Amino acid sequence: MVATYAQRHGLGPLGAGIGLRRSFYEELPRTRRSLDWVEIIPENFLSLGGRPQRALDACVERWSVLPHGVGLDIGGPDALDVDYVTALAALVKRVDAPFFSDHLCYSRLGGVYLHDLFPLPFSEATVEHVVPRVREVMARVEKPFLLENPSYYANMPGGTLPEADFLRHVVEQADCGMLLDVNNVYVNARNHGYDARAFVDALPLERVVQIHLAGHTTYPDVIIDTHGDRVCDDVWSLYRYVLERTGPVSTLIEWDQDIPSLDAVLDEADRARGVLTEVAAR
Amino acid sequence: MRPTLKHFFDSMGSYLARPEQDTLDRLFAEHPGWEAPRSRVALYGDFVRGHVRTSLEKLFPLTRGAAGPEVWDSLVEGYTLTRPARHHELNHLGEGFAAFLADEGSRRGLAPYLPSLARFEWSDFAVFASRSPMPPSVEGLTANPTLVVLELPFRICAYVRAKGQGAPPEPGEELALLWRHPAQLVTYFMAATPHALLALKMAVEGLRAADVAAATGVAEADIADAVSRLARDGLVLAPGS
Repeated sequence: MVATYAQRHGLGPLGAGIGLRRSFYEELPRTRRSLDWVEIIPENFLSLGGRPQRALDACVERWSVLPHGVGLDIGGPDALDVDYVTALAALVKRVDAPFFSDHLCYSRLGGVYLHDLFPLPFSEATVEHVVPRVREVMARVEKPFLLENPSYYANMPGGTLPEADFLRHVVEQADCGMLLDVNNVYVNARNHGYDARAFVDALPLERVVQIHLAGHTTYPDVIIDTHGDRVCDDVWSLYRYVLERTGPVSTLIEWDQDIPSLDAVLDEADRARGVLTEVAAR
Repeated sequence: MRPTLKHFFDSMGSYLARPEQDTLDRLFAEHPGWEAPRSRVALYGDFVRGHVRTSLEKLFPLTRGAAGPEVWDSLVEGYTLTRPARHHELNHLGEGFAAFLADEGSRRGLAPYLPSLARFEWSDFAVFASRSPMPPSVEGLTANPTLVVLELPFRICAYVRAKGQGAPPEPGEELALLWRHPAQLVTYFMAATPHALLALKMAVEGLRAADVAAATGVAEADIADAVSRLARDGLVLAPGS
């Protein structure tokens, strides 16, 4: 039996986590509720002092902390921002993260940060462009690295590969792990009219080390991946489908807009933990 | 990078520099046969513009209120075209907004105090997020390392204290002091007073209250009281505080 990416790197499932967001800086480090790990957006901690740093330090005292970036620009045309990667490596070391992650997308053009996750053409040319950049990042940070499948609202021109093949080629050729955002799979499947379960079946699931669950916003002609609501029943169902194939995987509840009370987010994490426990018991 | 991929990025870059209907049409013209719904592609232009707008509205609430909705919209649109997002941290795109207002002020007929107000609001954020290290303890009176001093041609502090309610800021020189409280980690501010400047001078030059009292004729107890009060507010750091 071939070892999974997680097994090769000694990465066990951590349980259910939530993101350290600004509205939780004071409350989260003091919570008495169950929480297995915390995710941070490194961009919020690389250049901002004061409260973010105090909250981060307090979280590191209690939980595993996993950096999940939005500004690496792994697929963009600009050279990798070496200062950013160096600072990221220092942060990963400081919080003693077992791995770190970002998105398979581009987020910078001509030195301008787009502050969003822009889809790449699903093509051999893109694979050829991204793979050496992933390897460079892993070499600089010296920790296992996961790429997330992003949501996208339009296929980009020049695509030659099915989306799942594109993802597979990148992570296999770069030999990195995968962060499977189950909500993104659902949103993309709905927006582009494909079968979410068939898509999951086509993914390199042996490389999945982390899962994201989130809410989205439904408009008449498109679903937007807003991270602004509870996880919907269809996404919970798809999550179970994934776990039945992967076994327990570290799972994050992502909530970034219209953030509710800490308890409401932790309730969602409890639900994810319940599913993880069920799957582990089988 | 293969030419096809470079062409893709170049064409997206041109569109995102000014996401409008004509640039969207040009983007699709660059890629014959691209069948994606235009409204879906336009979402990405909306995202880029939206991030600049929401960041400015978060960083400059009083400037926004003082400008009024129409002027504010026009300022946001104009500033967006300068492509201000040059840092991986989103809020940093607001760093040049006050200078933009100063440059655009006369042409757009802005209220003359708006650039000063924006400068104050940016400093409020910059102090809040300052990475200047705070010493765990000090051996002598020390100026708060996050302190920012603004020389302003309007009396902005009172206007900010009133949360933008009431009359516009009066013209007049003002030295605004902004710093992050070492324990509460929020921005404090004040228009500089003789006592505040004296406390800072004592911190910077290592002067004792007794020496200052002798040199200025101010009662030593008054100086000590002022220093103690300003140390509680975090403007200066005192031994044992």
